[in-house]
Amino acid sequence: MADKPIWRQAFDAVDRRVAGPVEAGARSDVFSDLIALNLRVARRTQREIERRTRRALHLANLPTATDVRRLSEQVAALQRDLRELEDEQRR
Amino acid sequence: MSPSLAPADVGRRVGRDVQRALRRGRNGLRYAAGTRPTEVGQTPKDLIWRRHRTELWRYRNDDVRHGPPVVIVHSLVSRSYVLDLYPGNSAIAFLLGSGLDVFLLDWGIADEADSGNTLETYVDEGIPDAVAAACEAAGSDEVTLFGYCFGGVLSLLSAARHPELPIRNLVLMATPVDFTGMDAITALVARGRLNPDEILEPTGNVPAKAVASVFKLLKPTAEISQYATLWEKLPSDAFMQGYQAMGQWASDHVPFPGAAFRQTIEQLVRRNGLMHGTVELGGERVDLGAITCPVLNIMAERDHIVPLAAAEPVVELVGSEQADELRLNAGHVGLVAGSSAAKVTLPGIAGWIADHSVPA
Repeated sequence: MADKPIWRQAFDAVDRRVAGPVEAGARSDVFSDLIALNLRVARRTQREIERRTRRALHLANLPTATDVRRLSEQVAALQRDLRELEDEQRR
Repeated sequence: MSPSLAPADVGRRVGRDVQRALRRGRNGLRYAAGTRPTEVGQTPKDLIWRRHRTELWRYRNDDVRHGPPVVIVHSLVSRSYVLDLYPGNSAIAFLLGSGLDVFLLDWGIADEADSGNTLETYVDEGIPDAVAAACEAAGSDEVTLFGYCFGGVLSLLSAARHPELPIRNLVLMATPVDFTGMDAITALVARGRLNPDEILEPTGNVPAKAVASVFKLLKPTAEISQYATLWEKLPSDAFMQGYQAMGQWASDHVPFPGAAFRQTIEQLVRRNGLMHGTVELGGERVDLGAITCPVLNIMAERDHIVPLAAAEPVVELVGSEQADELRLNAGHVGLVAGSSAAKVTLPGIAGWIADHSVPA
């Protein structure tokens, strides 16, 4: 403690007082409810934005996030099929 | 005592402060520019076995004094290089230096193709196949299975479901079994605030940034304290090496495969299945009492991720006659990395493994 500079000792003193209540707040039911709500709202907003921009992007012949996602799902499905084949061959 | 005002002493102090300021400036610039990141995972190793994204590595060791080989099973949510940060700060290197033959099972970085991986994928396929590969590579009939964090949960489940596996010893480090003790991490999903599917991203996995955010929420002010420590120790090259390596690891989480995540939430978190003996994998009840080999349960007293309350019951759940505990004055990561790991935690772990091994 004595080796620490004065500014650090002051910082640690404040941190000790603040950290506990902040951690308790982050673990409270209210905070968890807020995070859950925030996640749901963000998801809904993202879906809505995607829905609204999809038409415009398709009119311009441009791929949308949904198109890319579908392609990516197809690639993943192919990859899984390949893995199954690999596993069968190994057996 | 007031400092001496003799010109020679004043000159020395000024010189020292200037040197310190120069080192602070140099290290600060390097850190900000990211020009000298610490190279992690440098201990020489060979790829022994691979299946899809999962790899089993064997670390080179010319001085193996104890058998059987140690197979470390890493977690599903973080990168395994935390066990081998850099020379001088490597749990793997410490275990090698203790005369052990060390293998590490790394699950890789899950992507969309892995979203269907269930707990059975790891427990019934990954671990048994890796144990067999390690036995073959080392010419051994058995292994010491060593699970870290969620890797410990997978190891427990695998050892319980497959009593035929040649496991001489089971070592579990920071392994949660009582998920009511993990409330800080599981609050969002434990009581139905969110369903597991609401956390998954379009790839079908829990995104890495969500995993990182949960860990950050456990200690919201920690990042500010770390910056204060960074400013204080900026002139130290050795500190900067460790700080950069740990900083890199702490922000380098990996996606959690969606199917395994659903099972984890439903069976381990919501039903607290490991404590109540209700976990079902592959349609069968998992009985931890089926584990009869010697078990070492390593817990960190200052672990804010897997608190003592979550890890303590392991010894009561297994059926082993010999189930030991090692409580160490460390945090979750401090068990394997940092100066206290080499001085306090790793010698105890390596000592227990050596005591429960045979001369190689």
